[in-house]
Amino acid sequence: MATADDLPMETIAGHNRKKTVAQILLGFFFGRPARIALLLIFIAMILVPIFYIAMTSLKIPIEIRTSGAILPKTGITFENYVKAFRNVPLIRYLFNSLFVAVFSTILVLCVAVPATYSMVRFKTGGAFLNAWVLGTYVMPPIVVSIPILAMVKMVSLQDTLIGLALVHTMANMPIAVWLIDSYIRSLPKELEQAAWIDGYTKFQTLLKVVVPLIKPGIISAGVICAILSWNEFLFALIVTYGVNSNTFPIGISRYTGEHGLQFGEMSAAALVGIVPIYILVLLFSRDVVEGLTRGGVKG
Amino acid sequence: MKEKIERYMPKLMVLPTFIILLIISLVPLIYVLGISMTDSTISKPFTDFIWFENYKQAFKDEVLGTSLKNTLLFAFVVTAIETFLGFLLAYIMRFEKKLGQFFRTLVLLPLFTPPVAIAMIWRLIYDPNQGMLNYYLQKWGISTAPIAFLGQTELALPSIMLADIWQWTPFCFLLCMSALQALPKEPFEAAGVDGASGSYIFRRLTLPMVAPNVLVIFLFRFLISMKVFDLVYMLTFGGPGNSTQVASFYIYRVAFKQFQTGYGGALSILMLILVSVLAMVLTQGRELIMKRTE
Repeated sequence: MATADDLPMETIAGHNRKKTVAQILLGFFFGRPARIALLLIFIAMILVPIFYIAMTSLKIPIEIRTSGAILPKTGITFENYVKAFRNVPLIRYLFNSLFVAVFSTILVLCVAVPATYSMVRFKTGGAFLNAWVLGTYVMPPIVVSIPILAMVKMVSLQDTLIGLALVHTMANMPIAVWLIDSYIRSLPKELEQAAWIDGYTKFQTLLKVVVPLIKPGIISAGVICAILSWNEFLFALIVTYGVNSNTFPIGISRYTGEHGLQFGEMSAAALVGIVPIYILVLLFSRDVVEGLTRGGVKG
Repeated sequence: MKEKIERYMPKLMVLPTFIILLIISLVPLIYVLGISMTDSTISKPFTDFIWFENYKQAFKDEVLGTSLKNTLLFAFVVTAIETFLGFLLAYIMRFEKKLGQFFRTLVLLPLFTPPVAIAMIWRLIYDPNQGMLNYYLQKWGISTAPIAFLGQTELALPSIMLADIWQWTPFCFLLCMSALQALPKEPFEAAGVDGASGSYIFRRLTLPMVAPNVLVIFLFRFLISMKVFDLVYMLTFGGPGNSTQVASFYIYRVAFKQFQTGYGGALSILMLILVSVLAMVLTQGRELIMKRTE
């Protein structure tokens, strides 16, 4: 089925057996050319939509209305970007998103790192707490959205950035625990025991021994939680009402309603919010992949 | 005193998380359960206690039926395709180290693109007059007239599914990749020495060994995909008709657009029950399969 460097394609047990038609077909579909072709197709499928919206944002508005071709034919312009920033308070939305993402991520890490450490090392809460965390992640957020809004209103934080940041902190906490868990699990216990013998308290051990060792995990969880907060839609839609607290996703969702479908502006605005995420992802790609794949399967 | 703090330190460390879990899951659930038995609106919570009237209404609610059916259909189709493609890619990638390295980074882009922006991208792609899909379908002579992908009852849901598959296949891919990487090396080395063919190794070693983990990935993704909201909100707003009405969106509409928080609460509880039952059935089912194959 596969010609790997480490796996033999055919039997090497002495005699050459005749290949059946099925084997030849399999060899064709799973041979090297087919594999590369398949990967290239998927790479194209990932990139084409992103490339298309980038090109659309640079097209002259009249051309967008008349042709769906990917590449601009009548030259490029920054008109769409100028309009996007003029018609919608895009900078304000981006600032709001940034504030909420940074604030909630710092808070999430402050809460999740000690908790995960305690859950892994001292088995605090046992299997029950683990299941509760995972269950909270799997639970559809819409189910709790009515009381969340009621609680936010109760403390008068509706339509404020702090209110949304607190909601995001709570919503992202289970994911952070899930991501950090495997990093702490893989630490040798002896290091911490040595620290205890040296007279470190449990909290000091966490701060001075554990945290430096799981730095990649903290970075990974931090980047992922920040992006999830930046992208989050449902709670932002419910908890914020106006320009002062609307985040980027809510802000750009307005393009489809009030202004009709202005695809040029829409593409430009969407891209302005996408690019910072892509830069962040690519800068920390190694940690992010590591975090996701480590936490991956726990049976 | 100091000793006491030290003794209770592990519990103290978990305390904020515990409180957060209470605030975002247990307290809200009690609240929703309570409000679901009232005739509340968003401005007047907990008025007119009416016992199970909301639930009675829900069982007669055709839109609820449609939205649950759509949610399950959506979750099943996207999860099946995403897990399959994710596994296929993860398996292929093992043999293409260089391209694979690049691919592993690239997949992060769809996964972390804001769903609202993803919806905008696909809305543009699907647009009958300005979108690229119709443009190339017509240019290459596959269709003669523009197709309103999001405007036709039969096509709208599959169109949303495609956008979801674009976003989430990378997630399944990364998890499958980690499952494949976690396989022990010895059996494969032994098989190689014995001269087993690649396809034999795949069928008899790789697949059985990795299957339980792939099942977990399927399960996990299935439950998460039932949350779908953003794409529906941005692409079709539940329409045309109720053809893309999904549970999350319907609850949102009832509770926050029609302001019927009482009825919305009842719908929330029903959705929660559905998700929990599915979670239990699926995990139990997985364990049964595991036992049989042992």
